[in-house]
Amino acid sequence: MIQGTVKFIAAAVIACALQAPAFAQGNCVELKTTGEVEKEVVNDKGEKTRTLVAAADAKVIPGTEVIWTVTAKNTCKEPSDKVVITNPVPEHMTLVPGSVFGAGAEVTYSVDGKTFAPAGKLTVTENGVARPARAEEYRQIRWAFTNPIPAGSSAFGRFRATLN
Amino acid sequence: MSRSSRSLVAVGVLSLFGAWSDQARAVGVAAGTDIDSTAQVTYSVGAVNASSTSNTTSVKVAEVLDVVVTLQTASVPVVPGATQQELVYRVTNTGNGPEAFLLQVISTLGGDDFDPTQASPSIYFDTDNSGDLTGGDVPYSPGNNDPVLAADAFVTLLVVNDIPAGVTDGNRGFSRLTATARTGSGAPGTSFAGQGAAGTVAVVGTTGGDGEATGQYLVASIALNAVKSQAVVDQFGGARPIPGARIDYTIVVSATGSGTAATSVFSDAIPANTTYVPGTLQLNSVALSDAADADAGDFSTVPTARVRVQLGDLTQASGSQTIQFAVTIN
Repeated sequence: MIQGTVKFIAAAVIACALQAPAFAQGNCVELKTTGEVEKEVVNDKGEKTRTLVAAADAKVIPGTEVIWTVTAKNTCKEPSDKVVITNPVPEHMTLVPGSVFGAGAEVTYSVDGKTFAPAGKLTVTENGVARPARAEEYRQIRWAFTNPIPAGSSAFGRFRATLN
Repeated sequence: MSRSSRSLVAVGVLSLFGAWSDQARAVGVAAGTDIDSTAQVTYSVGAVNASSTSNTTSVKVAEVLDVVVTLQTASVPVVPGATQQELVYRVTNTGNGPEAFLLQVISTLGGDDFDPTQASPSIYFDTDNSGDLTGGDVPYSPGNNDPVLAADAFVTLLVVNDIPAGVTDGNRGFSRLTATARTGSGAPGTSFAGQGAAGTVAVVGTTGGDGEATGQYLVASIALNAVKSQAVVDQFGGARPIPGARIDYTIVVSATGSGTAATSVFSDAIPANTTYVPGTLQLNSVALSDAADADAGDFSTVPTARVRVQLGDLTQASGSQTIQFAVTIN
């Protein structure tokens, strides 16, 4: 009877010991999205240049292109491996073809949020006939980073989308 | 022939005004809508898989101030001295939020032959959607009942002018309706902080936040003249109008003046004590069947015996139209 109880406690302790580090690692990669809009400004020399302003402070109207950036920062002391970022194209927006950027990442897309494939490999079925999906139809973007993100480092993906 | 010439006239009017369009299109997502973006990440540290979600970045869609005015009547034919002549316009909110519009009429424009005289009031809402000024149509009063249109919505308006007595055939008079967004107008991109829908910034769109279209009155006094002649042939080789003799009628119809006599119809009763000779109806020497069918002519005994020929749209340039038919004396 006593022996049985002891065994049970020991098992519980072991379980805790295994879970605790995993829980901590759950916060290793901090993910942040920003939306920005290109604005034309005139500098001191009277030249027109482009600068980025936060979309929340800009006049975003139908037709405005918003540059979305998602940054993954590894806040732990160990490298994070197999980092995969998935970002839906925001509702009411359309992906700008050819605008997706992600250094060191393999980029895939999805029309339905389930099947992901490289650009040009996706199909949609229209009136019972399969055809290649157009970039404007991509609803999700996925960046799969080839190399681990070292401790304290960041990786990012970026795309442009136009407000419908 | 008359159809193709009419299309040519229509095309000419279109290029003259360039403001005729079936449907003005509004742009996109409604002002005040929140555009949200949230990303997810999966990764592994050592042998442990983990995932996390980003912050949500939210952007509120600003209001675009855009309006399009389109003319619904290409050209209105009028006679000298006519009163309460209306031009029909449509004002469409092509922005992305609800907006009130100021309306104005200008009838003292250049490039025409006379200035129409604005009636008072000169703008009415086509309340009953009849396309005509009727008793139930509400007059527009600036600042009191400015039309408030949802995105993509339109309102039909009647601009009412009188025609001076001294104008002559072929004279044209222009009248213009302008609609301006109450929130503001100006160069595209001009913005009005906090004045858009849901407290967003309002931004002047590509139309400048105002729109206009110019209609025209065309003085047209066309008259149709018909000249009828007859030839009698009796059954004995003479020209006496005796029972059994045949009368061949020839009627020449011509239009004089400017403008178009639309869908003109010639109708002539068979004289009393005579009987129509079947199969004798002709238009410009081309036989027309007696049945009411695809060709332009027909003969009917209901309610009284008559022949009828559809002449279509006639102008002075159409030239004379010759109709022939025959009867016998009972």
